Amino acid sequence: MSTRRLLLALAVAAVLIALSLLLGRFGAYLVRAVAIAGIGALSLNLLIGYCGQISFAQGALLGVGAYVAGNLGNAGADGVLALLGAGAATAAIGALIGLPALRLRGLYFAIATLAAQAILEYLFKMLEPFTGGVSGLVIRQPAFFGLPVASDQVSAAVSVLVLLITWLALTRLTRTNLGRAFLVVRESEVVAKGMGLDVARTKAWAFAISGFVAGVAGGLIGFAARLASPEAFTLDLSADYIAMIIVGGLGSWAGPLVGAAFVVLLPEAIQRVGEAFDIANLLSALRELAFGLLIILFLIFEPRGLSSLLPRLRWTQRRQTPGAATGFGERAGAAVATKGGERP
Amino acid sequence: MAAPLPAEAGAVALTAQNVTIRFGGVVAVAGMALDATPGEIVGLIGPNGAGKTTFVNCICGTYRPNAGTALWLGRELLGLSPHALLKLGVARTFQNVASLHDLTVLDIAKLGAAVRAGSGGFFASEKALEAELTETLLRPLHLADVAHTPIQTLPYGRRKAADLARALAAQPQLLLLDEPVAGLTSQEGMAMAAVIRGVRDRFGCAVIMVEHKMDVVMSTCDRIAVMAAGSKIFEGLPEEVQSDAEVQRVYLGEPG
Amino acid sequence: MTLALQLAVAGLATGSVYALIALGIVLIYKCSGVVNFAQGAYAMLGAYASYVLLSAGLPAVLAVLASMGVMAGVGALTERLVLRPMLKAPVVAVMMVTLGLLICARAACLAVFGPDQIAFPPVFPEGAVSAGGIFVTYNYIAAGILAAVLSLGFLLFYARTPMGLMQRCAADNSRAALAIGIHVSNQVSAAWAMSAALAGLAGTLLATLNGLSLGLADIGMVAFPVVVVGGLSSLEGALVAGLVLGVLQSFTDGLLTPALEDVLRANTGIYSVGALQQVLPYALLVLMLLLRPQGLFGRRGAERI
Repeated sequence: MSTRRLLLALAVAAVLIALSLLLGRFGAYLVRAVAIAGIGALSLNLLIGYCGQISFAQGALLGVGAYVAGNLGNAGADGVLALLGAGAATAAIGALIGLPALRLRGLYFAIATLAAQAILEYLFKMLEPFTGGVSGLVIRQPAFFGLPVASDQVSAAVSVLVLLITWLALTRLTRTNLGRAFLVVRESEVVAKGMGLDVARTKAWAFAISGFVAGVAGGLIGFAARLASPEAFTLDLSADYIAMIIVGGLGSWAGPLVGAAFVVLLPEAIQRVGEAFDIANLLSALRELAFGLLIILFLIFEPRGLSSLLPRLRWTQRRQTPGAATGFGERAGAAVATKGGERP
Repeated sequence: MAAPLPAEAGAVALTAQNVTIRFGGVVAVAGMALDATPGEIVGLIGPNGAGKTTFVNCICGTYRPNAGTALWLGRELLGLSPHALLKLGVARTFQNVASLHDLTVLDIAKLGAAVRAGSGGFFASEKALEAELTETLLRPLHLADVAHTPIQTLPYGRRKAADLARALAAQPQLLLLDEPVAGLTSQEGMAMAAVIRGVRDRFGCAVIMVEHKMDVVMSTCDRIAVMAAGSKIFEGLPEEVQSDAEVQRVYLGEPG
Repeated sequence: MTLALQLAVAGLATGSVYALIALGIVLIYKCSGVVNFAQGAYAMLGAYASYVLLSAGLPAVLAVLASMGVMAGVGALTERLVLRPMLKAPVVAVMMVTLGLLICARAACLAVFGPDQIAFPPVFPEGAVSAGGIFVTYNYIAAGILAAVLSLGFLLFYARTPMGLMQRCAADNSRAALAIGIHVSNQVSAAWAMSAALAGLAGTLLATLNGLSLGLADIGMVAFPVVVVGGLSSLEGALVAGLVLGVLQSFTDGLLTPALEDVLRANTGIYSVGALQQVLPYALLVLMLLLRPQGLFGRRGAERI
């Protein structure tokens, strides 16, 4: 990443943090919700968008993070420690879920993650001493570095800060050899193996790192809601997160954030509209319907996601291939790379 | 970078014998033998379905042959993973270049280097490595000007060159090229052939190349092995291959 | 023993409903390579359609047939409008679009019928058979037999009829099928229509057993383990695995769970193991994927470079 982009990211984060401290409670709530969803979406983007491992267990992994962070926090651990602990525990579980991926490919593995989601949901209900069973685990107000997070504004600021750290770390990661290996594994495991990459190890890293970030996001969700309960971490939540990274644009790093904002803010907007038209009793159905329809329309008409719209809105094209002055003949037609999806 | 293996020029380094692989009832490669010497380009030709690529896949660890040996500097290669083979200095290129959407030419070269030498860390600056790879690999392959271009946006010929750069970045002593000029225009093909000779001269590795285009094979290879129906039917200098009756028969069909 | 028999019969009945849904998933996967999350939505929609038609006073047979017809249309339309434009999209996007369909269908039913469970009008005669100490309602017998007969009939159709042959050909190699003059895209649409109709029937049958609610859509998620255990592209496998899973679930619910809970109550502070029969399919799925990823009836494929 160039220094310019780093500074840009820092500036955006600083503005967001300052804003969230000045915001009203509702504004802070929205900023926090988007920031946390953004972290979870970045985690899933690493796994699906970068390493090509489709997972439907993100909801449950966020749950693991929330339960672990909640228990650590309730036991008196500092918020930072609780989040790191949640990350570590979820990384371990994520790697465990990823184990079948060392043998399975594509669709089969995606279905295996459905099983992981179902089994974790069951465990959330069953492991009562740890999870509080069906009624859930009440989480005490956390303190970061000894400072209690007393208001929604502060917790929004904390979430934005964690989002920034995650974003910087993950974008850095993709420019290491491990990050490049993720991309090759995504395109073809056979080729990756033929190139001499250790495919199993590469995937294991993807699951562990993605799991760690999911755990941190889950911990933040728990701290924000002050409650972790089984019905908060269902397959529907997994679907929300997959929607975020697809709507945003698979494999890009701005995409998940755009998608997170979209998926979090859309229901809120529909809620406002619905209240204005006095159809409150139909609202939850309409919200779902609009969400589902938008996902479908998006996937059909803009499979590269929202973030791919931005560069096209500006006229400037990306750096073009310079013509081949020496060597291998003429320039190919404008075979512009697509991120994982092509339009028919 | 890692020190190259001690392969002496002129001494036979690869000896493959009796390599056999069956898929169900089909014997794709039957008792194939081939050897290669550092600094030499060996061409492997034959009609479609002769088992050339399958043989290369056996040597490169993609397939596990049913029988045979392939000794490389005294070590058995067959059954090793491509990962282990690269550590021993055996690298390959692909017939069809994989579509790697987001990687640049330099990225793929760095990845090739990392496979052999272990990866640079999370915080490592790679400026020095980038400069070295650009100078030693990308420039000779005419890729320096597109180092930061996504591979996917390059013309086919340059994508193949990028794949070659990736393989060379692992500093191989034995390089297996699977149809390096297939799909290129004849002009591109000749340029690629020159590059392959340049690679051999510069890096001194043993090169085995599977290829269909006879003009490229004839002008590039020091020695040619002809495969048909899974085994070697002829081996010799390019001019001998051209005049051999059996090879003529295999390629042009039964006379009369 | 009578309890075991009773559980087995109930398990076979639900199992054959699973099989109906799973058959649809396999059929769609074979023909278009799509793992269809909306299969459960088809079941739910079919059940609601039957409910509307029955409430309108149609005779049971006609109502069920008509709802299957409606679902066939829904299935074909899904394929035409949603899946066909996504032929070249990445796998995850295609999976997600079917999830989107599921979400939409659930929301639509929620908007129209509300969140509460609705009593399903009687389709089969009331009453029960009791023989040899076991006691099974007509509902279960009829649902089980109907589902089993339809599943078998479908397998026969697929294996023996010319259209089944065209289907198999299109699924096996669409390019070759095109080359020999089969209208592949029509075959794909037909596969979606048949799958949706089968699922619609399954949903109706399930509603006669358990009542009508949005929760019917969840059966799609249970059908995935069935499909994988059977082998993702094996119709026979889906049938067998569906029956096996139904019976296993029934035994888990009726025998294993009470026994486990007795043991736990006696020795620990845990009183309940919860809905163990609901995770059972997934546990089986994981086991299967680790031991025999191609499934009971599946075949291993190879990949070329």
